[in-house]
Amino acid sequence: MQVELKVFATLRKYLPDHPLDQSVTVTVEPHTTVSQLLEKTGVPLDKVKIIMVNNRHADLDQRLVEGDRVAAFPPVAGG
Amino acid sequence: MMVERYTRNLGLPGWTPETQRRLAAARVLVVGAGGLGSAVLPYLVAAGVGRTGIVEDDTVEITNLQRQVLYNTPDVGTPKAEAAARHLAALNPEVTVTPHHTRLAPENAAAILAAYDLVVDCTDNLATRQLINRTCLELSKPWIHAAVSEYYGHITTLRPAGPCWHCLFGPETAAEPPPSGILGPVAGLIGCLQAVEALKYLTGTGRLLVGKLLVWDALRPGWEEFSYRKNPDCAVCGNRNIPVPPAAD
Repeated sequence: MQVELKVFATLRKYLPDHPLDQSVTVTVEPHTTVSQLLEKTGVPLDKVKIIMVNNRHADLDQRLVEGDRVAAFPPVAGG
Repeated sequence: MMVERYTRNLGLPGWTPETQRRLAAARVLVVGAGGLGSAVLPYLVAAGVGRTGIVEDDTVEITNLQRQVLYNTPDVGTPKAEAAARHLAALNPEVTVTPHHTRLAPENAAAILAAYDLVVDCTDNLATRQLINRTCLELSKPWIHAAVSEYYGHITTLRPAGPCWHCLFGPETAAEPPPSGILGPVAGLIGCLQAVEALKYLTGTGRLLVGKLLVWDALRPGWEEFSYRKNPDCAVCGNRNIPVPPAAD
């Protein structure tokens, strides 16, 4: 199945092959979790602060279904 | 109160002289006077917020001026809270601006926050945000959180009933993220949104960003809204609905 992964701010550097302004479509096995998706794409779990799935707050253990849109945010502290 | 100054406020749908008086009676604390604060502060003061406090212990540095447009080059070396208060007094001498040239810390947070109705988070670190969250919950104060990095910024509004900041951001990370580059106007954009949210809260206008994380990504570009809920197991606010037992006689 395919899911979409969008990373924000300083997490972008872990997806160096993708244009800055685009999300990534990833092919994964059914029932893949958010953490498995991040591991597959090379985004370090310890750099991720917030996960949203389909624009709702979620966690790393959430299992994904076809077409899910995953957003990953690092800690952002600047002001 | 000089009404003429606020003519364009008073022309807003739903904004009456009483609305303006509510703003004149309001007390807002802005924690941090950097990139976000440089946008928040002038708009609050210009709109007629009666008392605005600024907590900031830094002095103006030349590297600040790329985005902290509240300051001018001759301010370099001056305490930010004092320079900001001076510029803001020139913008609107009808309101009060109180500089607190100190760092918000567990020892002084409750005493400082207690004198204000609303807190606007313009800090540059997660530890201070944890402190604001806990103190606002203890004092039942609302606050407006924002943070920026590179081309990215977000904002959300926290009310004492929750969800709280910790419900979304979770436990403190072991290390603060290192300072990143920041495109100046991104900080200004998100700071302006904080001012909008503050003025809406103070005047009872419109829907607030409670339980909503509004995100701006300048590269994609666009706004995106994410939702979050109160976490019943939250280590900070999770037990707040338990009734406090009556005090023994």
